Amino acid sequence: MQTILRTPKSAAISLGNSMTTELFFVQLINGIQYGLLLFLIASGLTLVFGVMGILNLAHGSMYMVGAYLVWYFFGVTGSFTVSAVLSALIALALGILIERVLIQRLYNRNHLDQVLLTIGMIFVFNSLQSILFGNDPYGVAVPDALSGSIPFTDNSSYPIYRIFAALICVAIAGLLYYVVSHTRLGMLIRAGESNREMVEALGVNIKVLYTTVFALGVMLAAGSGIIASPMSSIVPGMGESVLITCFVVVVIGGLGSIKGAFVGALLVGLVSTFSAVLLPSISNMIIYISMILVLLVKPQGLCAK
Amino acid sequence: MIFEKRTERIIVPMFFMVALFAPLFLESNSFFVGKVTTIIILSIFVMSLDFLVGRVGLITLGHALFYGMGGYLFVILSPEYEAVNFWVYTLYICSISALIALVTGAMILRTKGVYFLMITLALSQMMFYYFFDSLEYGGGDGMFIFVRPETSIFGLSFLDLDDPQHFYYLALFSLFNTLVFFKVVLRSRFGRVVEAAKQNPDRTEALGYNIFAFRLTCYVIGSALGAYAGFLFALQFGFVNPSFFTWEMSGMALVMSILGGSGTIYGAILGTFTYEGLQYFFEHLTKEWLLFMGSAIILMVILLRKGIAGYLEKLLEK
Amino acid sequence: MNKLKIYFVTIVLGFFMSMASNAALASSEIKIGVMQPLSGLYAGPGRSGLDGFLLALKGYANNSHQNSIDVITLDTEAKPARAPELATSLLIQHNADFIFGPAHSGVAMGMIKVLRGKDTVMVIPNAGAAAATGSLCAPNIFRTSFSSWQPSYPMGKVALDKGYKDVYLISWNYGMGRESLEAFEESFEAGGGNVVKKVLIPFPSTNFQPYISDIAAQDPDAVFVFFAGGGATKFVKDYDAMGLRGKIPLLGSGFLTEGTLEAQGEAAEGVLTTLHYAEQLDVPKNLEFRETFHAEYGHYPDIYAVQGYDAGQAIINTINLLNGDVSDKQAVIDTMEKLTINSPRGDFTFSRAHNPIQNIYLREVKDGVNVVKSLAAEALEDPARGCQL
Repeated sequence: MQTILRTPKSAAISLGNSMTTELFFVQLINGIQYGLLLFLIASGLTLVFGVMGILNLAHGSMYMVGAYLVWYFFGVTGSFTVSAVLSALIALALGILIERVLIQRLYNRNHLDQVLLTIGMIFVFNSLQSILFGNDPYGVAVPDALSGSIPFTDNSSYPIYRIFAALICVAIAGLLYYVVSHTRLGMLIRAGESNREMVEALGVNIKVLYTTVFALGVMLAAGSGIIASPMSSIVPGMGESVLITCFVVVVIGGLGSIKGAFVGALLVGLVSTFSAVLLPSISNMIIYISMILVLLVKPQGLCAK
Repeated sequence: MIFEKRTERIIVPMFFMVALFAPLFLESNSFFVGKVTTIIILSIFVMSLDFLVGRVGLITLGHALFYGMGGYLFVILSPEYEAVNFWVYTLYICSISALIALVTGAMILRTKGVYFLMITLALSQMMFYYFFDSLEYGGGDGMFIFVRPETSIFGLSFLDLDDPQHFYYLALFSLFNTLVFFKVVLRSRFGRVVEAAKQNPDRTEALGYNIFAFRLTCYVIGSALGAYAGFLFALQFGFVNPSFFTWEMSGMALVMSILGGSGTIYGAILGTFTYEGLQYFFEHLTKEWLLFMGSAIILMVILLRKGIAGYLEKLLEK
Repeated sequence: MNKLKIYFVTIVLGFFMSMASNAALASSEIKIGVMQPLSGLYAGPGRSGLDGFLLALKGYANNSHQNSIDVITLDTEAKPARAPELATSLLIQHNADFIFGPAHSGVAMGMIKVLRGKDTVMVIPNAGAAAATGSLCAPNIFRTSFSSWQPSYPMGKVALDKGYKDVYLISWNYGMGRESLEAFEESFEAGGGNVVKKVLIPFPSTNFQPYISDIAAQDPDAVFVFFAGGGATKFVKDYDAMGLRGKIPLLGSGFLTEGTLEAQGEAAEGVLTTLHYAEQLDVPKNLEFRETFHAEYGHYPDIYAVQGYDAGQAIINTINLLNGDVSDKQAVIDTMEKLTINSPRGDFTFSRAHNPIQNIYLREVKDGVNVVKSLAAEALEDPARGCQL
């Protein structure tokens, strides 16, 4: 019975890979969901650069910290929610600590010194990860409440957790938008992005602002690590791989622009997803090619100020 | 004199004196010779990067593109089992790399700052993927160079590249020439324009100089020398691998140049030897050497405002 | 100021001297150099292999021999660029009699370039690059792990036996990935199977979502993959999350479920793999090894530890048979070639290309463990294509 049903399909398959509407729709959702996660990470990077002028190469390490922490606490408490909250709090503390102890010393130094410092930080974090957590690949189970899937073809179904993750990213994006456009902190952020010296001259406590912004950036990165953990594998070097994609997103969108990070992230998410199946041979280069094309047309990114 | 600072006039001769005579005292130990050769070759690469980053103001994370090209161009162009002429191939490799730099530079030098940084990174990553995916050029495992070139000029040859000591002296000689070359260029009128362009681009343009052309020329020069370093690196062990193209390689060189003192040119030697020395020391100490390495880097950034050269200058300049 | 000059010169000279003074002095010690990734993405297999290796060495120490063994450990960081330099340091500076490593195939190539035909014996505890016991084979290079072809080749026949006609292949686009898929294709197509689609995704991308959606759309009889480590964990989880587990059978080269079962959880249930080892293999040496390893390190060994342990055994047995005299490298090679390794995977010998001739087991994941279902291939010898030995 089954063989008869399968043969016509085999024939169709060997005639070539045409993308069905089903597949297109699924890839669209995949791309958007991936893009939303990228936005979460990238927004932290662009925020810190835009307001503080600091290029934080250790941003990817923060993503890694979030993932490893949630794995560790999950092993201890068994509850994803508790682990997520604990990890977020620790990331917050870590962000404040790093800013106070290290980043503050570099306010008046040039970009190159920031590059050097943050690379040193990458080494330290990678080493701590190896010492504290070990080097095997780890995973975090999807929380039970969200572990179902929505069936949509005879063969496949779409995992609820991915939809949930996408929604959370949208929610955080919305929250970020609200903070930036409707609160005093947001006003200071926007002011700091356009003219740092003026903000200082106006008597704002720049130190507190910077610490807040940096800690926020770290939390965004760690938060995306936490959210992504049930969907990814937790391995050494995961920070660096996400960092490069993050930079591409931020550059495409325009450095310092959160809106740009959103646009850039969705673009990168969709392009990588579709190129993966349509143009597999160059799919690893496609995001670089896209970035170069964007920069040739708009040298400061899509949403540059 | 091309060495303006007193510190340079002390440190540079001291280094070359030690480096010149060291192998003679330790001649039986060709490991040491090989290890220092590797560091010297890396210094040439870092020096060419320091020129671009520290003097011209082009902060690039894609310099490894040329480093890898140096080795791969040799593998692509030379026959597998025949010894070709070293000088001729140096010319080929540097010219082709210069051409690549010219074409890519013309496209990307219009962007600035982090955008330029990312494009250079993208280009070198793409080259990495190209060679990693390629089946003809060894893919991810890389390829061997089975026969080293010979070094005759008009039939006369002094150097046997298979002899580690000869190779060491070739590398050292190249490092010296690179240093002198950059110093001469920077002291020249051309160099002054480059300096001015870095400090105040608008004013320099207003004076009638085509900054773009100057920058492009520097980019081509720096890249060609980076490729030469890559060529030597590949020849030393006869091995090329796509990992030579990665941003990690570019990043490490950038770290070394900043550590040594950005823009000082001779600082590249200090930075490279210090970094490699520290890594060697920590690696033999503990499995968790990365932790010490990272901490050392962080400490040095915070304490040494202008890199090691900067610190030495503070001590030695009166 | 003058003091500073002197100080500085001393430091510089001292630096050079200290490097030089590390030169090995002649001694009756047996030197084993280790080149493994102890940091970075491959640190898991790297450290695991080293643990297994050191356990085997412990057995030697307990035997109170005249020669002690000096182990020099270098971290390759799985970076091919440093491989030749590190290998040269072990060969020339430390005069290593044996060199253990590496895990990563690119690093192996760099090492082979320097060590091939030289006065040392290299024993590879993991890197599966075909060339190491193929076109670049050499008398002084041995391997106690596998060739990329070995674990995947038998799965082709398994797929045919199960009646799968159309199979979708996917892996990373690099040596091990390509070679694994090709090995499967070789046996599968020879028996009349049809490869529906073969996808090689950029290494080490773990963005599998688009491809799994594609697999669902193509609806093949089965899927055969090669992934390892973090990629393996993610692929199996994503495959399950998309609802394909149980609908389209998932077959893999054994690394898909090695060291990853805990992280994969229920998503791995029912996955079939072929590998030269399984943790519950009913071989007396395996049970003994697992307990000894656990007693020493507090956790159970994985395939990398087994391979490292066997490399250690190969070296130790050779030393013992030569009564501690390893100065004649030809004698070392001749002795090692003839060894039968009493391995936790079952006994194996070396082929003429110095790769293990070993059993390949068919395993199925049941209740979080790789259960051995049958022998997929007995005493399988890698064809060693291109090897001149």
